[in-house]
Amino acid sequence: MVDVVGVMDILKDQFWFSAGLAAALIGVIMTVVAYCIYFERKISAWIQDRVGPNRVGPLGLLQPLADGAKFIFKEDSIPANVDKPLFLIAPTVAFILGMIGFVVLPWGGSVDLDGDGVVDVVAQVADPGIGLLYLLGVGSLGVYGVVLGGWASNNKYAVFAAMRSTAQMLSYEIPMGLCIFIVVVCVGSLRLEDIVLSQVGEGHVWNIVLHPVAFFILLVTIFAETNRTPFDLAEAEQELVGGYHTEYGALKFGMFFLGEYAHMITGSAFITVLFLGGWHLPWVPGLQPEDVSVGAMFMKMGVMGLKIVAFLFLFMWVRWTLPRFRFDQLMRLSWKGLLPMCMILAGYAVYLVYVGLDRDVYWALGGNIVLVLSVLVFNVLHRPLVSGRQANMPAIGGRQPA
Amino acid sequence: MSNPWPLMVYVTFALGGLAIYFLMPRTDRSTRGAGAIFGVAALAAAMVLCASRFLGTEGGNVFFYLSAVVAVASAVKVITHEKPVYSALYFVLTVLAIAPLLIIQHAEFLAVALVIIYAGAILVTYVFVIMLAQQGGASIYDRRARQPFVAVFGGFFTMALIAGQMTVLPEEHVVQGTLASASAERATELGNTAMIGGVMMTDYLVAFEIAGVLLLVAMVGAIAMSRKRVPTEVVRASAKPPGQIGREVQPF
Repeated sequence: MVDVVGVMDILKDQFWFSAGLAAALIGVIMTVVAYCIYFERKISAWIQDRVGPNRVGPLGLLQPLADGAKFIFKEDSIPANVDKPLFLIAPTVAFILGMIGFVVLPWGGSVDLDGDGVVDVVAQVADPGIGLLYLLGVGSLGVYGVVLGGWASNNKYAVFAAMRSTAQMLSYEIPMGLCIFIVVVCVGSLRLEDIVLSQVGEGHVWNIVLHPVAFFILLVTIFAETNRTPFDLAEAEQELVGGYHTEYGALKFGMFFLGEYAHMITGSAFITVLFLGGWHLPWVPGLQPEDVSVGAMFMKMGVMGLKIVAFLFLFMWVRWTLPRFRFDQLMRLSWKGLLPMCMILAGYAVYLVYVGLDRDVYWALGGNIVLVLSVLVFNVLHRPLVSGRQANMPAIGGRQPA
Repeated sequence: MSNPWPLMVYVTFALGGLAIYFLMPRTDRSTRGAGAIFGVAALAAAMVLCASRFLGTEGGNVFFYLSAVVAVASAVKVITHEKPVYSALYFVLTVLAIAPLLIIQHAEFLAVALVIIYAGAILVTYVFVIMLAQQGGASIYDRRARQPFVAVFGGFFTMALIAGQMTVLPEEHVVQGTLASASAERATELGNTAMIGGVMMTDYLVAFEIAGVLLLVAMVGAIAMSRKRVPTEVVRASAKPPGQIGREVQPF
């Protein structure tokens, strides 16, 4: 029989609590990632009016296990003429960079483990003062998995995919950084727990209410950073055979796959913390920062998990609904659309902070509405051309392009 | 000689210089074995030097030694590897190994900024350019170092002079204990990022703004130089409306 009091005493030390949380997180995240693939297939089947996987176990629920076994037992072939060290490192890099973002996410706020009214630990593996920048840094390294895999394969199509992916990730990091900048300027801290706490409590609202346009732009850039449709040009199988992982098989392909889904979970958690209040729900007792009991911690973790799952569903829904962008449209969207809007928003946010109205919903929201309306009016007056090439062509049916 | 430190520093750097010289890529015969032996000797000497001086203080942190060994070893690989792609990737590893050193010094913001800017942005473009340029395998100028002796001697002579001079500084100039812990205390109290921001916006405001303007000018210049004027008239003349394409082709 386990001595509960002794275990509690050990867990009251932040180091051992973090170690336990990290071990639990690895198990939970790996399971969720495996089941993401199952749900991706189920949701695509639902959207396309099919049945989906239903052979392995009840409702096909054991499908991830079967997929995992298949990945492990398949022949692990390495093509001739690949750059072998990089070819082997690339899937590992992609997978690890997908997984290590979880350590700084705030899962459940402060916790008082023994009920004596003193906060013992923070339900977070690590709580550095630069948690937000850490996530940004891990995200900016994520491109290496794709680039190394594509180049080491010694395959023209894989190199094309790597090239597209690099250009895309570098372009979308800039609007992403500006969206994060807006939140940081308004909150005044890079600590993720501080960002959550600034959105909860009396007189505070979630950042999505203050800056809805920044939320939407950040969502778009996360779609681009995780290489998900409509930004999945790096694995456009109709154009590139398979994409950067054309030459990969068995478990190495599986690691790319798991890395992509782990990246999606990190991105969902990121946007949840920045704009949707993290573990907080308004007016629900137990989800407020004052409630630090162990039960409240599990409730907060559950709410955070539910928000992440909702975002994962959105990712899958969009993937099976929208077609892929063409590359020039993708670049135009980032450099001529999102970047100017983000710069205007960032300037406005700095001005609001300067005059002390940054937490005032009406001012922040009003600025966002004015921005959206002016962008719409501008685009109606100066209709953007569909692409550079077509601008030089006579239009179909004799209508001149605007 | 009363102070043994400068001599020990000079010996360490001499061993390091020899290691780099023998590790340099050359086409006639491989001297990598000798280079590896000198490299291990130089690392061991550096370890003894650091351990005997800093063990027990903040410089004796075990993570410092782990990161330092990785950083130095991968930095050696940057200049001695024959394949440019691997050189660039070892540079990434060097940057990632230097970040923990900054964290040990309580400079978290600098550490993450280094990773984001160097490893995340600049080196991605480097790696990519090298990958696109080197599709045909390593060329002769990558497999043979040019002027290795002059380069190694110049670099290590300068480094040895600076490091040796640092060991003979008067005690009160050496950052040990008090200054480091005082700034660390202020950093935890105020927040690392807030401290850097405060300094940037007060003491170094003019330099900061000038650097920003310089970067902007460089960016505008790069775009202006790389833009190519597309002769629109030519394209317009050769293009056919989609409905007409193929109409003029005669049947067999």
